[in-house]
Amino acid sequence: MKLHVHLSPNWVLDTDMREYRPADEVDFCIVGTGAGGGVLAQRLASFGFSVVALEAGPWHDSETDMVSDEAGSGPLFWDELRITGGTDPLDFGANNSGRGVGGSTVHYAAFCPRLHPSDFRVRSLDGVAVDWPISYDDLEPYYERMEREYPVSGPAHFPWGRPHGYPYAPIQAGTAGQMLLKGCDALGIQAVAGGPVAIPAGRVGQRPHCIMRGFCLLGCKVGAKSSTLVSHIPDAIADGAEIRTGALAHEIPVDAAGRVTGVRYYRTRSDGRRIEEVQRARAVIVAGYAVETPRLLLESASARFPDGLANSSGTVGRFLMAQAGPVVWGRFPGPIRQYKAPPACATTEEFYETDPANDFVRGYALQTVSPLPIAMAHLISGEDGGFGEDLVRAMREYNHYAAIGVLGEILPAETNTVTLHPTEKDRFGLPAPYARFSLGDNDRRMMAAGVDRATAVLQAAGATEVHAVDRYAHLVGTARMGITPDDSVVDRWCRSWDVPNLLVCDGSVLPTQGSANPALTISALAARTADWLRRAVPAGALAHRPAGPAAVEV
Amino acid sequence: MTGDRYPEADALAQRGHWDDATRRVILDRVYNVPDFRHFDDHARATLEALCARVIPQDHRPPARRVPIAPWIDERCDSTDIGGTRFDDMPDERMAWGLGLRGLDETALILRSASFVELDATGQDAVLLAVRAGQPAGRIWREMPAGRWWIHIALQAICGIYYSHPTAWDEIGFGGPAYPRGYTALNFGAPEPWEAEEVSG
Repeated sequence: MKLHVHLSPNWVLDTDMREYRPADEVDFCIVGTGAGGGVLAQRLASFGFSVVALEAGPWHDSETDMVSDEAGSGPLFWDELRITGGTDPLDFGANNSGRGVGGSTVHYAAFCPRLHPSDFRVRSLDGVAVDWPISYDDLEPYYERMEREYPVSGPAHFPWGRPHGYPYAPIQAGTAGQMLLKGCDALGIQAVAGGPVAIPAGRVGQRPHCIMRGFCLLGCKVGAKSSTLVSHIPDAIADGAEIRTGALAHEIPVDAAGRVTGVRYYRTRSDGRRIEEVQRARAVIVAGYAVETPRLLLESASARFPDGLANSSGTVGRFLMAQAGPVVWGRFPGPIRQYKAPPACATTEEFYETDPANDFVRGYALQTVSPLPIAMAHLISGEDGGFGEDLVRAMREYNHYAAIGVLGEILPAETNTVTLHPTEKDRFGLPAPYARFSLGDNDRRMMAAGVDRATAVLQAAGATEVHAVDRYAHLVGTARMGITPDDSVVDRWCRSWDVPNLLVCDGSVLPTQGSANPALTISALAARTADWLRRAVPAGALAHRPAGPAAVEV
Repeated sequence: MTGDRYPEADALAQRGHWDDATRRVILDRVYNVPDFRHFDDHARATLEALCARVIPQDHRPPARRVPIAPWIDERCDSTDIGGTRFDDMPDERMAWGLGLRGLDETALILRSASFVELDATGQDAVLLAVRAGQPAGRIWREMPAGRWWIHIALQAICGIYYSHPTAWDEIGFGGPAYPRGYTALNFGAPEPWEAEEVSG
């Protein structure tokens, strides 16, 4: 198939993409092309496997499909029906998951911090949640690789977690980022600017450098910001992978032996007609993010797996986590013009770790967020429902605001779930996903402390009034990896405990989330899983189920 | 109304510097406002009155006001309403229909007139009751008023108004900056093509 897609103004993905027939039994069918699926497609194709990646959305041509306009960017976002409830219902809004090649990396802010070593051991260290089945050491080499492949800009010395430096120089912070630095400095809080953010401070391949337009959350027309659309997908295609767009997966069929045989999906053809096809595959990797992944597994219930695929533990769809993301904004006497420069440009992780002086465990990061006008109006109107002259007057101060996002660790709770809604259907006639989310006491205390800290930083920088709204970002945890088949969906290689040739590899496998934006961790896990598959498939490891805690490495 | 902070601002005049795809989207928004198709005349008048209280534009001549209600009507006329839906809320189209009738119910109970018949003070009293979450009226016992106010009404009205170049001029946002980008990053400075702020 002939592709002609702009990835930046002067870079066209102009190539013949290999195409498979649905009846061809490929080595891997991957569902999703984001931070997990995009990296897997590139890795597995480069290892010589045959790969088809299904993507529900389209290619977003940077010249014709991405616009430099907030309201016009809707097509980048996953906007299918989702029902939300619980005591603190998540307003998925536009920006929580992506639709199109590259998934949500097309419109993430590109903050790319690593998890800390402590994040993998919160049960041991803090007595909450669970430990991961892997350690920071297992993931560290993959963090290093992903920081080169995305690539990530940032300080030469990043002091938190396990200290490390970044391969590209920091990008320039705008005035809003400088306010975070100024406030932190006044309070004696260490902070960094210019990263870690996946926007290279220089030209990379055919990607030009950043023009400081500040539109990261709405797709990078420049092609400077990293997304798997520009970092890994082109290489995947060059290595023979097929990216099949307009293909919405809705069932993973199994055979009599309990093995998956491929993926059933609805495909919308160019004439608008919808057809149903099954791509046959020797193995399937689900990488649809923390709402669509459990939804697909639950939709794949069968006589053999009546509670949903890979769900013998009952944990599919459980332990849904969002990161706490309260936005705190201050009004400054002088102009800020926060819409300039990438919103992700300054941060501190000084409050990331458990501090015995707090009335909660774990912690939070502070990061710049820099809302564009519509996002700012939604924050202001969302604070207390103000309207009329109050609202218009507050918005007239737009150029005087600097905003800080609190990014905090919400602990996993079994009662925070994604299920199939019993009655509501989406436009495909499929049961809508139903997310229920309620904060715990630790979460509330952490969020309140984060808002207080961000308020203090803004005031120390000179803000004369400060406002805050609770928000949430980054969905993880609904198909978690674990040490035993009893309390988790996948093992430490992201492989289903129940089905020999099924893997899940996206944010949903995270047992806990730390206070780091998850994209880099998801990609690092995907690269690690791909390395394992390279060894494990020829050794016949996908012929049988994982052996459990005592499993020997291939 | 306080004074105009950016009297020289004219984002639309910069259109020659925008890329084609962006220019098409924004000019379409400014010049191709849809006709009303979904709501009947009374609901339309109620919706327009609501929009005028959330974003007062009396200071502008009618031709300079940013149209808001037609876009809400168009959205409700669409057959394909997805997105996030709170489990205690109906779908967005139904929520708009109910909410507009709810404003009338509350207005009749509080002020013995329909919402559009009230003066600005009366309308604001109704909206303040809705915002507070417990307005009088049967409809608001079926649909949480606070949720409707923030997530349906203000979400849509603010989203539409601040997508318009006239609103950008009001707040000093210069509009699309692709492909030229920004070079003035320090001290909140404007680009040469952006309007300076005057004190006010």
